[in-house]
Amino acid sequence: MPFEKMLPLMLNGIKDTLYMTTVSTLFAYLLGLPLAIALVLTAPSGLKPHALLYRILDTVVNIFRSIPFLILMILVIPVTRFIAGKAYGSTATIVPLVIAAAPYVARMIESSLLEVDPGVIEAAQSMGASIPDIIFKVLIPEAKTSLIVGATISSGTILGYSAMSGAIGGGGLGQIAISYGYNRYQTDVLFVTVILLIALMQIIQVIGMRISRKTDKRIRE
Amino acid sequence: MPLIELKNLTKTFKGKTQTVQALKDISLSINQGDIFGIIGMSGAGKSTLVRCINFLERPTSGSVIIDGRDLSTLSPKDLRQLRQQVSMIFQHFNLLQQRDVRGNIAFAMEIAGMKREQIDTRIDELLEIVGLTERQHNYPSQLSGGQQQRVAIARALATNPKIILCDEATSALDPTTTTAILNLLRDINRKMGITVVIITHEMSVVESICSHVAIVDDGRLAECGTVESVFSHPKSPAAKKLIYRSSGADIGMVGDRMIRIVFEGSSSKEPIIADLITQCHVAVNILFANTRVVSGKIFGQMILQLPKDPLQQEKVIYYLQNKNLRVEEVTEDAL
Repeated sequence: MPFEKMLPLMLNGIKDTLYMTTVSTLFAYLLGLPLAIALVLTAPSGLKPHALLYRILDTVVNIFRSIPFLILMILVIPVTRFIAGKAYGSTATIVPLVIAAAPYVARMIESSLLEVDPGVIEAAQSMGASIPDIIFKVLIPEAKTSLIVGATISSGTILGYSAMSGAIGGGGLGQIAISYGYNRYQTDVLFVTVILLIALMQIIQVIGMRISRKTDKRIRE
Repeated sequence: MPLIELKNLTKTFKGKTQTVQALKDISLSINQGDIFGIIGMSGAGKSTLVRCINFLERPTSGSVIIDGRDLSTLSPKDLRQLRQQVSMIFQHFNLLQQRDVRGNIAFAMEIAGMKREQIDTRIDELLEIVGLTERQHNYPSQLSGGQQQRVAIARALATNPKIILCDEATSALDPTTTTAILNLLRDINRKMGITVVIITHEMSVVESICSHVAIVDDGRLAECGTVESVFSHPKSPAAKKLIYRSSGADIGMVGDRMIRIVFEGSSSKEPIIADLITQCHVAVNILFANTRVVSGKIFGQMILQLPKDPLQQEKVIYYLQNKNLRVEEVTEDAL
């Protein structure tokens, strides 16, 4: 494909991919964060143990985590239609992306929150901290660095999913790779999309790690 | 009326395979202004006991009464409010790693719902008290253990508590820093009248600052009293063990019959042993002797090996008791 045609195609692809990735990551966190907090609180060793609720949440998260993304996308097509009005295109793809990513994000956040020193939580309790105090003043700020690392990994994973969604009607670089590279044997387009995806992943990783390191106060200067 | 009253406290932990009775019927009272030591070997239940005082652990039975209020009758909200009056410091400091010194001290006051300006002025006062003004913008990872414990103490003082609970607060510190932290706690006790409860496994901590001591052994209260009386006249095996060990009198001391004598600084001017030997015509063997400062007073202690003849043994004991010395038998298994 000539460069003049390739350039706008790729720019459009990058734009769509970034759009899907950022919006999906955002919504995945909106759902995943409360889910993770609920998991941490209701766990047997949590601040408000609740065996039944914990088991339900834990199982739901596990079920969604075990369905391969491509199959999940097909399974949730009715939901996608209901929310987005159609089942193809970048915006519609956000629906399955969020459904797939939210449980994943919840697990990432859960593990970050569980890393917080129980001694610090006990100290907060000894000062008369309420559960919201502990969540917003202890758990989340203390886990900040780990949460940022988790967000980096999660958005990388969502970027990968978004590319995969190209196989069944999603937009972005993945769709370009499949429709030009796979269906029309335009190998040059295929290679360019792959290189762009690698570059995007790298950028996300570098930025995420840099922010997490900058915000971490545990490192001696 | 005592400030802290524990009545028939028990705590049982139920595991899947076994139940552990951590506290067995403990009753004790702590008065306003005391520095009260709770000492025991590790696993004796003292950490559980201190957590019952602020209800971080709910006792299985029995009651905790602080300032006339039975904690089991308080609503969760009232309990949180009461905890602002009962601060706690910990062995591993438990500071927020992502907040600097000021932020850590502010934390306790944010929870108490104080206003920003109020918090800022109070932080300045507290930094002065614990001597960390020049470190106020450092993060915990940049501070030594002793400095971190000072931050924890400032944080504990922030809400003007009546009581400070110290859970092995000096166990992670070196001897010099331990002394400095203990002195700070004593100053706080004297100047602000705050009651201090100290959990420790080290008799030296109790001897150096506590006014009263409770000895916990296997979940039970073995002995309780002023540090002076327990030091000079330990009754329970657990108390004897702790006191002899902390004296350093534990290595290879074997004798037919041994006694420990304790005398206050004043009577140490008399050459007691020399007099004993010349007047009773018996030879005693000094196995161990030293002096210790207990609750600010100098005490001398000696462990003597008595002669083989039972009659002579009685003579020695009678002589020493007549000199108004506290004499007690030392058995080998107590060492």
